[in-house]
Amino acid sequence: MFKKILVANRSEIAVRIIQACRELGIKTVAVYSEADAQALHVRLADEHLCIGPADAALSYRNIPNILSAAEITGAEAVHPGYGFLAENAHFAEVCQSVGIKFIGPTSENIAMMGDKAKAREIITKQGIPVLPGSQGVISEEKEALEAAKRIGYPVIIKATAGGGGRGMRVVTQEEDFLSAFQTAQAEAKTAFGDSGVYLEKYFLEPRHIEVQILADEKGRTVYLGERDCSIQRRHQKLIEESPSAAVGDALRREIGLVAVAVGRSVNYCNVGTVEFLLDKDQRFYFMEMNTRIQVEHPVTEMVTGIDLIKEQIKIAAGLPLDFRQNDIKVRGHSFECRINAECPDTFTPSPGTISNFRPPGGPGVRVDSAVMCDSVVPPYYDSLIAKLIVHAENRDGAVARMRRALDEFVIEGIKTTIPLHKRIFDDPVFQKGRISTGYLEKFLSSEQARVSG
Amino acid sequence: MNIKELKELIELIQKGQIAELELEKSGVRVRIKRDRTPAVPVPLTEEAPAASTIPVEAPLPHGASPPSTVPAGWLTLTAPVVGTFYRAPAPDSDPYVEIGSPVKKGQILCVIEAMKLMNEIESEWEGKIVEILVENAQPVEYGAPLFRIEPLAPT
Repeated sequence: MFKKILVANRSEIAVRIIQACRELGIKTVAVYSEADAQALHVRLADEHLCIGPADAALSYRNIPNILSAAEITGAEAVHPGYGFLAENAHFAEVCQSVGIKFIGPTSENIAMMGDKAKAREIITKQGIPVLPGSQGVISEEKEALEAAKRIGYPVIIKATAGGGGRGMRVVTQEEDFLSAFQTAQAEAKTAFGDSGVYLEKYFLEPRHIEVQILADEKGRTVYLGERDCSIQRRHQKLIEESPSAAVGDALRREIGLVAVAVGRSVNYCNVGTVEFLLDKDQRFYFMEMNTRIQVEHPVTEMVTGIDLIKEQIKIAAGLPLDFRQNDIKVRGHSFECRINAECPDTFTPSPGTISNFRPPGGPGVRVDSAVMCDSVVPPYYDSLIAKLIVHAENRDGAVARMRRALDEFVIEGIKTTIPLHKRIFDDPVFQKGRISTGYLEKFLSSEQARVSG
Repeated sequence: MNIKELKELIELIQKGQIAELELEKSGVRVRIKRDRTPAVPVPLTEEAPAASTIPVEAPLPHGASPPSTVPAGWLTLTAPVVGTFYRAPAPDSDPYVEIGSPVKKGQILCVIEAMKLMNEIESEWEGKIVEILVENAQPVEYGAPLFRIEPLAPT
């Protein structure tokens, strides 16, 4: 087992990793940028080292400084957390070449799954359904029409330079395709300066369902249930839950085994998440694979009782998994709310000093955070300041618990998304579990209409 | 020495006529100097506080120098990379500079070794080395103060 691990990250995930190391009796080294000198992860670690200025490129993504910090402190392993260098295949490779263990999958795993086109190719070869789409941008009308036929209507035409739901057009039948295609190209050119468009199969009210897998270095791979991450705004997740209200035992087992097969097909090691789109008819399609620990990992921990960060460390230390698939049970229901330092109505960032911080407690409540009273939330990094996680015996119980916990949670001095989370958990549609990836945009615009109407 | 005692000392200095105070108690040495701006005392070494689980000021590893007030005009060259500080290009060579050495802008003052790569650290100013704050073969973090230089022309 490692004696010392360097945590190459910041904020709540750095604290989380330090927690796991502490419980395993492993010494920790925190690295920080000049903007994070007073941060909690720096205070909690056994040692700390400044690795650069506020700019993440010069600090949290500064490979030479991070590896040098590991060298001079004698750290045997590095945990990259999520974001920053977590899915940087080059970093994983350099760690290996200098004899420092990268706590995560291999650089080959990362490179392979990071190449979306290549990943889809591998998955298709396994006979696993992949999200149907064009292989990149199509500019020729004839080619586009053929691709749309192949994908199957309805299709959505998306601007490659677009985002935020702009430059998209849904086509339900073939006869409408060409004019929609031409209009979409023209719109894209005007809005984004790039007329490039691509095609994807369009789903009505799909759900984002992801499966957590764990694999040790001997290749023993298990799945730990699924997470429903459909509550998203502009592809940013806001609320996650496990299990999904749309997934029954049979489907859980089916996509779980598919996720394991995906992992095995690339000799995957350590933690990973396989993302699927689930349509209204319970058909699922592979979207992509995330080769890192994810922000929303706590909901899986709550329902399975398995500490994913500790498992990451144990796997990296060469230990075999000490449980089998049959030992893994999903019990109860868990939600996670991402509390961001943002204005809950406009979503503009709200950095600043926290004047009051009182997290909720009581049964089934967990808060993963790196802030406290007098903490300064810097403007340089992402706005996530806390994750509020609840667990209860079933989904209704978990909804009630989250509503109670959100009411108790006090954060003053900056704006946060807590009011928005409260409104969502008060919504009968959400409470009934009738969610899809379109839910939040619809919810926000109907609120907007109510306010202005 | 705990935070309460340090706070009391600071108040003493701020209220009274004392300009500078150095105190050693149970393995902790504290120097507080009153200048144009109030200085923040940093213990050079500190036993891990038993009671509190979150130390307000954890000791910097490898004995990095505390930020004491610097005489007006002196400039501080800080480490631009993380690594091991060496005063000479090779173990049997002479050090690049000594205290009192005149230096020019761009002149190499030391190397910081990071992952087997030797980073030559250059002086940003023309002047004279007045303090060397790090020992040979000492690990340094980003921003660690290395040299104090008295510049040639007043800044």
